[in-house]
Formats: sequence, C-alpha cells, structure tokens
Amino acid sequence: MRKLGPGWVMTPAVMVAIVAIIPTPVPAQWLNYPTAGVPKTANGQLNLDAPAPRTPDGKPDLSGMWQAEAGRISRPCPTKNCEELRTSDLWLDFGHDLAGGLPYQPWAADAVKQRKLTNGKDDPTSKCLPLGVPRLLVDPEYRKIVQVPGLVVVLNERNASFRQIFTDGRPLPDDPQPYWNGYSTGKWDGDTLVVQSTGFRDGMWLDRIGSPLTESAKVTERFRRVNYGRLEIEVTVNYPKAYTQPWTVKVNESIVLNTELLDYICNENEKDLKHLVGK
Amino acid sequence: MKTFSAMLVAAIAAPLAAQWNYPTPAIPRTSDGKPNLSAPAPRMSDGKPDFSGIWDVEHNKPCPPEGCVDFYAPQEFGNIGWGIDTGLPYQPWAADLAKARTAALRKDDPLSHCLPIGILELQTIPLYRKIIHVPGLLLILHEYNASYRQIFTDGRALPVDPQPSWNGYSSAKWDGDTLVVQTAGFRDGIWLDTRGSPLTDAAKVTERFRRVNYGRMEVEITVDDPNAYTKPWAIKLNQLLMLDTDLIDYICLENEKDLTHLVVK
Repeated sequence: MRKLGPGWVMTPAVMVAIVAIIPTPVPAQWLNYPTAGVPKTANGQLNLDAPAPRTPDGKPDLSGMWQAEAGRISRPCPTKNCEELRTSDLWLDFGHDLAGGLPYQPWAADAVKQRKLTNGKDDPTSKCLPLGVPRLLVDPEYRKIVQVPGLVVVLNERNASFRQIFTDGRPLPDDPQPYWNGYSTGKWDGDTLVVQSTGFRDGMWLDRIGSPLTESAKVTERFRRVNYGRLEIEVTVNYPKAYTQPWTVKVNESIVLNTELLDYICNENEKDLKHLVGK
Repeated sequence: MKTFSAMLVAAIAAPLAAQWNYPTPAIPRTSDGKPNLSAPAPRMSDGKPDFSGIWDVEHNKPCPPEGCVDFYAPQEFGNIGWGIDTGLPYQPWAADLAKARTAALRKDDPLSHCLPIGILELQTIPLYRKIIHVPGLLLILHEYNASYRQIFTDGRALPVDPQPSWNGYSSAKWDGDTLVVQTAGFRDGIWLDTRGSPLTDAAKVTERFRRVNYGRMEVEITVDDPNAYTKPWAIKLNQLLMLDTDLIDYICLENEKDLTHLVVK
C-alpha cells in the first residue's frame, strides 16, 4: 500500500500534473509491423512463456521492445484515456516495494519532502532533461533493446534517446565524464547480465518524488530474461551520501510485440512546466 | 557577420576535448603500424559492407586566419546546397522563408530550441555519430541530444501513412555495395541547414550510403520535396571515421543560455 505523506495527497490536481508530464502514448503505435521469430504454442497461440531467445554465443538475447510493469494502485483518472497510462509504481517512488521505503539519509528525506511540496517542478524531466539510469527502466514509454556483440544499446521513446552498455570487457573509467546515464559496462554471470554504472551527474532524480541520485552513486543492474515475454531487472543502488545502506529493487518489464518506437520529444510543444507550481 | 558567427558557435557548445579513449578493435594497419584508413571497408557475415563505426563530418570549411573554432561546422551545415553550383532550387516562398529566417538570427530554428534537427542536419552538425549495423537494422546513435535514428533493412515497405516525425521512417535495401535508404513521413517545420532551407511533410529523401574504404563513407542525398523545391536536388557528404573514442552525449537543453540572445537589434 502506498504511503502518501503530507503534501503528497493524490488529489486530482496532483494527478493531472503527473499525467501531464507523461502524455498518454498515442493510441495507434505506428507500425503494426510483425515481430520476427515470436514463439507459438502447438495450436498457434502466442507463447510468452517460451524460453528466452539466445545469441549465437549462447547467451540470452535481451533484444526486443519492452514496457515497464504497470502500477498496482488505482489512481483517479483525469482523462478518458487514463487506462493507457501504464505508469509504474516505481516511477513515482523507486522504494514503493520496499518495506519502509528507501533508506534516506536525513538530508535526502528532507529533500524528498520539499520536492513533493513543490509538485516536482524542479524534476529534470519537468524541464525535458534526461531521466537517467535507472529511472529510464520504469518510464511508462517503451524502450527497445538491441544486443550486439560487445554492446547492448537501449533506445528510449523518451526524448528518442539512447543508452550504451559496453559488454566488450572494458573496465569502468577512473574519472568518467559525469552524465545522466553514467558509464555502464556489463558482464555475464550465468544467464544474467550484470551491469555496473558510475559517473553520474549531479542533481538527478530517481523518481517523481525526488529521491536523489548523484555523482558518487554506483548502480548495479542484473538483467535476466526470465522467458520470452518477461525481463526482470534487479537494481541495486549504493550511494551512502543519500542512503543509509545499499538497497535493491526489482523492476519487471514485459515484451511488446508487433510495433515500433514512436519518438516522444518532450520539449516539442511543452506546456506543463508553468503549471507545476508548489503550494 | 562576426556577431552571427559567434551566435552560431554559442548555440552549440564545443564537444568536450577528452573523449573516452578506449581503443577501437581490429583497426587495419600499414606496415609501420599506423592505422590504414585506405584499407578496404570491413564486411558483415553476409558479405555486405559494414558501416559500423564512429563518424565525423568532413571539415570542408577553411578556418579563419586566427584559427579554427571549436565548433567546426562544415559548409553544408550553414547551407545544405553549398555544393550545388546554382544553389538549391527553392520555390519562391521557400527562398523568402530562408531569407527571413536568416534575418531573424535563427530564433525559430528547431536547433535553437534544442528540438530534433532531422536526418540531413544530423549529418552536417559537427558532433559525432556511431553506426551500429546489425542484420535487419542500421542504427545511428548521435551525440546531439543523445538521440538515435533507425533505418530498417529487413525488407519492410515504407508505411502508407506514417506518423510524421523529425527523422521520418526509413527503410533500406542494397544496390551492390551501396545501401539505398528511402525516407518519408517527415513532420513539417524541419530546417535542413542554419540558413533555414525548409523540408516539408511532402518530402521524400533518398540516401545512398557507400563506405568507400575503412576510413571514409560517402552519403549521396537526394531530396524530392515539390512543396519547397522546383525539382529534386542531390548533394554528397563525406563522413570520416574516428578511432579510439566514443560518443559523449550532448544534451542541448542542459544549461541552455543562447535562445534569449537570438534577438535582432
């Protein structure tokens, strides 16, 4: 059950503000082009429980279009198309599934409190800036993974942006250029791709309530394609400056078939920011 | 003029000096161990040329006597028709529009607003791009706004009524060693260069990608946009391979300070 603290009551006004930040996906994803190699059962039905496909080197192939698991709590619906807004609970609060929430340091708890009160107006995504890692994983818009030898690329509808995960064995750089996605390298632990990222930029928000993630954070993501239709990503954040202990959250993604990315350019006709005024 | 150049430069921060410096694998070498950029283009397992790599624009604009600026844009960035003797065959309204846009200091240029810049300007802006060439897909990652473009090579047809977008919808097939990319479904309001040459939603663009050798790629671009131009026109851009580096994402909106200065005095 979601804990809604003072200043974070799900009033319709707050909901409208949140929904406005994420327009509903356009109903007709353009393409309806059939996904190749979809497994079928003996009677021709789609078989999402089939084993994960593998690349020629025998490793699981994470390639595909993915969508974050929809939230489980019901929210007031501000528009008639509200059902299309499959916002993950983690989008609002990355610690949603943790008993007691994220283990904030006192300053971080204060920052979150303040950020709730100001309706997220200083959220980078309110200004159409990048979401960053790992928040991109729970963005309600689609993403596409393209896995090639030495590299896993994630294409995000959000701002039509990419992320690179190097799997060619390189080490993390000692002094990376600080960036929203950090610098990511991955290696296989059995059938799990373990991705380490450092080199984040200052001032990132992990979620809509403003849980902080900045420079000295280390993020580990364990990508496991459980079967054809499902991808589990175990995200561990180690950032002692903001959290009293490392914490781990599981993100579920489901495959999306017979469609393509539809680029979403946030600052195209952006009208929301000026409405995000605090109380 | 000088002020305008300064604005242009200010509008796009210089790429950071220190790229990642991770060695590119499998560089062909000459006998003295230097990279052999004239070596044949690499090929994929199906025998077709492999366009994968990090590419830069050809810096074909002479530097001023005081030296090159950091943001070293090629001629075509300022004028996509630079290589055409008679210039672009603008329709009268399009010629007037380009003139007005230049006079207004590009304040309405999508680039000035950190919006996407479309598939032609993405090939003339002096930021790096990385091609990932896999079966069925040619993926271009671009430093500009850390953006991507997909070119489908799985034989699909162009959609009949695509969702209009900045990059359009691109499908390609091989003509010998040349990848011929057809694109339609552009959104209105795209600028092809900083002088404001328009591209409308009626446009069809054909790009012929040819990796001449290991170090160089030629892209012959034909624009057929009867709304804006009296006839189809074609240009050729050279792209040069960059070694031992990777993309550094350039997020235009991050600390953007230029737009408010793009005011005609």
